[in-house]
Amino acid sequence: MELKESIICPGCACLCDDLDIILENGRPVAIHNVCTWGVGKFLAEKKLRPNKERRRLTDPQISRHGRAEKVSYEAALGEAAAILTQARRPVIYGLANSGAWAQEAALALTANLKARLEPADLAFMAPFYQAVQKHGLFWAPLEVIRDEADAVVYWGANPLHSCPRHAVRYAVFARGRFTERGIEDRQVAAVDIYRTELAGICHPYIQIDPFQEAALAEAVMASLNGHPASEDAPADADKLAAFFANAAYGVIFCGRGVAYGGPQVFDRLAALAARLNEKKPFVLFPLSGDFNSAGLYELLLRETGSPFAPDFADPAAPTSQASPVDFQEVDAVLVTGADLLWFLQAEQVQDLKKRQVPIVALSPFADRTTAQARVCLPVALDGIEAAEIAYRMDGLPVLLRPVASASAPPAHRVLADLNLFL
Amino acid sequence: MRLKITGGRIYDPASGWQGEVRDLLIEGDRVVSRLTAADRIIDAKRKMVVAGGIDLGAQVATYGATFLYLLNGGPTLRELGLAYAFLGYTHVHEPFLTPVTAALVHRRLAALPIVDVSASLVLNLRDLDAWLKDRDRWGEIAETIRFLLEKTRSLDVRLVEPFVRYRQEFYAHRNIYPDEALDILTRLALDHRLKFIVQASPDVVNASYLEPRAFHLAGLSQALQNGGAGAAALRHLDAGVTADCGLYLPRPDPGPQIKVDLGWYQPLNLNPAIFRQQARDALDLALSYQGHNLAFSAMAPTPVREYPELFTWLLDRTLRQKTWGKETAEREYSLSDWTRATRTLPAQILGLTDRGHLQPGARADVAIYDLSEGKKPRLSPASLRRVHTLIKGGEIVIDNFQLVKPDAAKATYFRRTEAQATALVADICQYRSFRPESLWVPDELGGPWVGMD
Ligand code: SF4
Repeated sequence: MELKESIICPGCACLCDDLDIILENGRPVAIHNVCTWGVGKFLAEKKLRPNKERRRLTDPQISRHGRAEKVSYEAALGEAAAILTQARRPVIYGLANSGAWAQEAALALTANLKARLEPADLAFMAPFYQAVQKHGLFWAPLEVIRDEADAVVYWGANPLHSCPRHAVRYAVFARGRFTERGIEDRQVAAVDIYRTELAGICHPYIQIDPFQEAALAEAVMASLNGHPASEDAPADADKLAAFFANAAYGVIFCGRGVAYGGPQVFDRLAALAARLNEKKPFVLFPLSGDFNSAGLYELLLRETGSPFAPDFADPAAPTSQASPVDFQEVDAVLVTGADLLWFLQAEQVQDLKKRQVPIVALSPFADRTTAQARVCLPVALDGIEAAEIAYRMDGLPVLLRPVASASAPPAHRVLADLNLFL
Repeated sequence: MRLKITGGRIYDPASGWQGEVRDLLIEGDRVVSRLTAADRIIDAKRKMVVAGGIDLGAQVATYGATFLYLLNGGPTLRELGLAYAFLGYTHVHEPFLTPVTAALVHRRLAALPIVDVSASLVLNLRDLDAWLKDRDRWGEIAETIRFLLEKTRSLDVRLVEPFVRYRQEFYAHRNIYPDEALDILTRLALDHRLKFIVQASPDVVNASYLEPRAFHLAGLSQALQNGGAGAAALRHLDAGVTADCGLYLPRPDPGPQIKVDLGWYQPLNLNPAIFRQQARDALDLALSYQGHNLAFSAMAPTPVREYPELFTWLLDRTLRQKTWGKETAEREYSLSDWTRATRTLPAQILGLTDRGHLQPGARADVAIYDLSEGKKPRLSPASLRRVHTLIKGGEIVIDNFQLVKPDAAKATYFRRTEAQATALVADICQYRSFRPESLWVPDELGGPWVGMD
């Protein structure tokens, strides 16, 4: 038995760094200070069904005529390289659940392939960045939010599912320097189209009709500006306006739900935050659950000057696309750090199958995408079996140190090797 | 590689060379006094030969700075590294690193190609407030600062807010006003051999006395919010305090605000409006001071590619008038003044003893610019924009205006102190969401590292 302390969990973008892990024969057997989701990550269990083991990929495979065949690492790389170089419109997809080194290798591969790199959560993050372009931003690390924020709003977000310890470590129950009594020193509100577990701790909890979110943000803004609510304004706008008005330091955590209401929701929320910022600090904070989504956008901004999907189809003049890729145009996909076929709508999956679009999948586990992939390359679990770098949701990087041995190479090595095969 | 740079005018205020034509010899990564043979002879006739430039205040890796790409569209870090190289810079110093943002700052600095890098650790005096008032604990404060310097891989210590001021009324009794804070910091610095880079403000500059051994004033222009501060700033400079001027390009309408809260009393405004009068006051101060204690710096968000414009304001009265009209000062910086402001003094301020000069033993970071030879040699705006030759660590990076070594070796410089953790470190860390071991920057998050004793 061996105890490893202060291990960082790559389960979600909270990147909790207080895990203490007991290892037996080099594998984790007990973990302290962790949520069930994190346990699942370390013990290779299914995310939403603890105790159900996830099947690891062990060998590189190539599928021909529906039959998967174990092949050497080099053969798999050769086949993957052939697929991607022959494609007219290849896409490298995923990466929000990949370490920073893998993301860097994927970006280099994308450029070399004259391909497009498609972040798995682009549909969520692009409207956020577009809203910042228009309205500016007041930003703070979780560190400061934890110390200072006395008003916390979850909008279209259920952190208990997307980043389970968020409320405990950073936002609601955490005891910060000026919020020493945790939730007793804070007001917490939520806006969502469903009633979620948050309803018990959020006052007000505003359940809203789908597609009414932008109107709610507008009505709150109008109320803050002293204008009477219009007749068709969503109910509870005044309550929320009063909540904002009473805050000394606020934060709006926006979840993926915001994306379903259309890009205008982020736009209105950013405008609202900018208005609030005229009087007091108010942070607008996208809650992307994937453990290194923030690292991917940091990389894209740093290397391409834009947070949107880089497209190297014309290498002399690469572009960045804010709209998600149209998969009907795509004729080969490399997937890493995501389960593409779980994410796509059924008709998109059907279309890919019908057109026999070849998929190259890098994954530690068998999933829907690997089941359909032409080439499967097993990889180590980033941050558990292989060292990696990840950026917490507030953009602060940490080094993930491996706690267990790996039977497959890390994704960044596979991507770099694949680049050599092109 | 052994290089002989021959026939150039050498400017090196540290050696007293003011444009004398002489050879400069390089062996390996050092300037040497003798060379038996050269692998390459570089003809520097009608050229200016100086040490590589050192940027004291480049906000290239500040937390939140990537949001500026959304407004301004770049340049990327790669483009920025190249821009620095083409301007003749070989070292870039990031002013704002905190214990929490250290890893991010170092990741970004590592991605900046060609130039060496370093960063200032910004101390939040709020973390030390109760300790600062107790002189018996100053030894521990000094040890803590040294410990944090090494663990965050920073080169020096900066105070953005040299005071303690709580936003929360409840804690007002713990506030320490600037006069008292500067007094404490002076004694702390003198007793424990520390030096603080203090971000200039009216409060700081209006202090009756600033001890030159304790303080460097960064971004002096920020203090010029009333007429008196300029005179006060000159008084400090005359008394021996070093400062960097913090010139601006006017930018009255910068677009949406990007502000980042790093736990200071005021958030950091990454996209401030710069009014013409502000920029003018900063320039006037830089031109009116005639001594040797004022280094060049530009205030963010002035883009690096615009530095030549700021240089011409200093160097050329006629070109300056195109922007500012005829009413600016008559003075022109000499090429020695400019070299001192952009090389010699920045190296001294950062404690980079082997940079910023060309004496034997100096690191071979050398920039060679075309000179216009008239009545007196001049640097034209075109030659300021593109260095003819850049040598870094003895390797030719730019040759005849062309980049020949984009992957030049580079390093991150930090202060190695071997200080031990103190009770104060634990005190500071208790409010962090990170465990301390996650805060300290590991090798993998930056570098390659060079620790300086
Ligand atoms: S909240 Fe996220 S990072 Fe923290 S333990 Fe759970 S899964 Fe891991």
